[in-house]
Amino acid sequence: MTTRMVRRLASIGVIALAAVLILVALPARPAAAHPLGNFSVNEAIALDLYPQRVEVAAVIDLAELPTLQERSAVDRDGDGTVSAAESMTYNQRICAELDAALSVRTGGHRLTLTDRPAGFEYRPGSAGLQTSRISCAFGAATNLGDSATIAVSNDYRADRIGWREMVAVGHGVHIVNSPLPARSPSDALQSYPTDLLGSPLHQTSAQLRVEPGDGPATSGAAATTATGNPLTRWVAGADRTLEHMVGGHLTPIVGLLAVLLALLLGAAHAALPGHGKTVMAAYLAGRQGRPRDAVTVGATVTLTHTGGVLLLGLLLTTAASLAGERVLGWLGIASGLLVAGVGVAMLTSALRHRRHGALHQHDHEHSHSHGHDHHHHDHSAPHQGHRHGHSHHDEREAHHPHRSTGGRRLSLVGMGIAGGLVPSPSALVVLLGAIGLGRTGFGILLVLAYGIGMAGMLTAAGLLLIRLRDRWTRRSPRVLNRLGRLAPAATAALVLCVGIGLAGRAAFGVV
Amino acid sequence: MLRHRILVVGVAAILLTGVAGVFGLRHGGGQVVDDGPAAAAAPADRLGAAITVAQQRLHTVPGDYVTWAELGSAYIEKARVSADPSYYPKAEGALRRSLQLRPHDNATALIGLGALANARHDFAHARDLAEQALDIDSYSADAYGVLADAHTQLGHPAAATEAVQHMLDLRPGLPAYARASYDLEQHGRLDEAAALMRRALDAAIDPADIAFCRYQLGELAWQQGRFDEASTEYRAGLDADASYLPLLDGQARLAAAEGRTSEAVTDYANLTARYPSPGYLIEYADLLTASGQPDQARAQLGLASAGLALFTANGGTDDLGAAQLALSENKPAQAVAAAKREWSRRHFADVADTLAWALHQAGSDREALTYAKRATSSGARSASYLFHLGSIEDSLGRTGDARRDLAAALALNPQFSPRYAPVAAAALARLGAR
Repeated sequence: MTTRMVRRLASIGVIALAAVLILVALPARPAAAHPLGNFSVNEAIALDLYPQRVEVAAVIDLAELPTLQERSAVDRDGDGTVSAAESMTYNQRICAELDAALSVRTGGHRLTLTDRPAGFEYRPGSAGLQTSRISCAFGAATNLGDSATIAVSNDYRADRIGWREMVAVGHGVHIVNSPLPARSPSDALQSYPTDLLGSPLHQTSAQLRVEPGDGPATSGAAATTATGNPLTRWVAGADRTLEHMVGGHLTPIVGLLAVLLALLLGAAHAALPGHGKTVMAAYLAGRQGRPRDAVTVGATVTLTHTGGVLLLGLLLTTAASLAGERVLGWLGIASGLLVAGVGVAMLTSALRHRRHGALHQHDHEHSHSHGHDHHHHDHSAPHQGHRHGHSHHDEREAHHPHRSTGGRRLSLVGMGIAGGLVPSPSALVVLLGAIGLGRTGFGILLVLAYGIGMAGMLTAAGLLLIRLRDRWTRRSPRVLNRLGRLAPAATAALVLCVGIGLAGRAAFGVV
Repeated sequence: MLRHRILVVGVAAILLTGVAGVFGLRHGGGQVVDDGPAAAAAPADRLGAAITVAQQRLHTVPGDYVTWAELGSAYIEKARVSADPSYYPKAEGALRRSLQLRPHDNATALIGLGALANARHDFAHARDLAEQALDIDSYSADAYGVLADAHTQLGHPAAATEAVQHMLDLRPGLPAYARASYDLEQHGRLDEAAALMRRALDAAIDPADIAFCRYQLGELAWQQGRFDEASTEYRAGLDADASYLPLLDGQARLAAAEGRTSEAVTDYANLTARYPSPGYLIEYADLLTASGQPDQARAQLGLASAGLALFTANGGTDDLGAAQLALSENKPAQAVAAAKREWSRRHFADVADTLAWALHQAGSDREALTYAKRATSSGARSASYLFHLGSIEDSLGRTGDARRDLAAALALNPQFSPRYAPVAAAALARLGAR
């Protein structure tokens, strides 16, 4: 054997050999190669934290070649079989080595762990070879009853390639914002995740903070979003369908269906909570909105949403370093602040209105009663007629002398922008997908359809509210009138609160 | 009035989105510089950041086939740099997803799959994929990189040189310099190869890139018996990136060549514990055999054999590796069969040399001579090739030719192999060196 040839093999195909083993093994074969490579040494550390002690369950999974390399260390008498005593000795040796390499510190003080071998077995691997599974249990007494910090690090065979995971669960203690999941992502090295968008775990150290308290550990990693709402589920399904349509073969029928679906999705998006529809409704009701106003808001929403999605799509396709979620978060804050701003404007105007209310009211009644008296002189019930007429005037036109048309429009437009500013993630996905496929025009069309769908839903909701309010007004004008006096301040306060809430929620996700 | 309002709304929306975008940009972190899929060596840190950004992006934009392809190529790089093969199935999955989303005109995915095929030693497939990619995008330097690697291994030196030249023209940089250097090396122009690798080193910024270039420079020095220079390069490489395993192999080989046998054994033991690849294990076994530890050697060859068995059990074919293992195990008939199978697939100089040596061990020296001459006439200057040729000539009674070629082998690198350098010296002494 010459060095030259071997060197070539080594320098060109160092990793290649191992690679093929795995690549070819992937399609479900009975004796598949080790999913993390035949060279890998994989380790899982599970921490159980109790008020008075720490327990560690460790598992080591050796792939085929490390198992073979260790064979002489297991079968010490070299007779080709592994006796129970040999197995126990090996298990003890590995656990002692791991103990030396595993550090658990509380408050800067390294705990002396007692180690106990907890099992060693061979499992069938690829090519008639075996893999090893070695378990160890460690424990130490400590005081986690009060607030404490725990630092864990695992340096065992740190230079070997392989999976390294850590999990932590509190029992009678509460782990604050745990950086570790509570459940093993690999079922304790028995089924490794095959997610294409996840890198192999390499968690070799962690810092935990515990507080007194009961219940399981809080863990960000284990949290999943439950989507029980049928509308949410339908929307998610429709999103996928649309994304699929954009990527698939495009016929006129499919294109038309995609546009219709986009319209529907836009409407559904607007119907889902979190888009300030309550605010818009309150605004329209409180500001004595007219059907025209609902349409204005709807049109503004369409424009803002379409423009926003297109611009964001442009930004995201040109700058790969842009994190889409963060942009959405900041847009959410902007949207919330805008709503709050409109709320502030409404509140100041309402308060001013109230302060000068008496004078203006007087002026009004004066001029109007004159007019009415003049025209309806011979009415049998002049007062009732007058009141009726007046209340209509008050609702429909009373604002004109006090508030500038521009300010009122600005508020409406502000509400519309707030409603359309946060792009629907699915519209964004569809647009980016279309751009990626070279179907930019089609993507823009779909985004436009989204915006129109959203606007349609919001306008419809607005019109419905106005209709409802008008019907109420006709039925019980007295109550409404009294409410109507209160309404501007109350709705303004509501708008302000919701705006702050929306901004706060968005900020929570970003910061 | 309406137009005015639309204008106001539009401007406001764009302003707000822009502001939010700037915030997102500032907090998004991670500079992303794409070095392309076939970058000679991408840095672990920057590469890791690029992988994270791509993963996040695909969570939000799952239909982005370009990012899927780039992620697949980044996984291949990650597997190469970290020697962690668990990235390969991920790479293949990502590249296939990209191709599924965009079955036509998707050069990026084809290039990634080509790089993957090269890594799997499926060089003919890699060449086809690179050519398909070039049909779509004839200006892709990365596609030429994949094509050059494939042609080199298939034994098409002229086509390989042409592809490297295209790559140099399209994007002169580290990946192109490194391949051009290797191409020159294959043609025996070792000084020019070293000069070009120095240029590649000048272009390298990241630790893994520097380690790669230093390793190649060390190898070029080693091939010519310049051990001090090789040692300096290996050490400089390890200073840059201590986790680059080939450098440890170079150091172990150097220790063996300089007679520091126990140090070499320790080095090999550490290296193969970390990375038990058949290639390293065979080198280790040769050293153990040469230093009189046949039992230990047999254990290492057993491991190498298991490694190759795993490879085959999972559908892989590496008959060159199988032939080399059979030679180390003194099974010449098996070695000949395996080397002939590999030769039927590709006419690379290394394959010719292995086949020649296997035939010589099996006693078919006349046939062996043809292949040995083919290996040395490829232009590559290798002490091993020359030793094999000289040994075969010696067996055939061509004393003059044998003396010349054995002397040339030892002149090039007097310690080219712990097992065979002494054999070469003894043969030369017997033939009467002049």
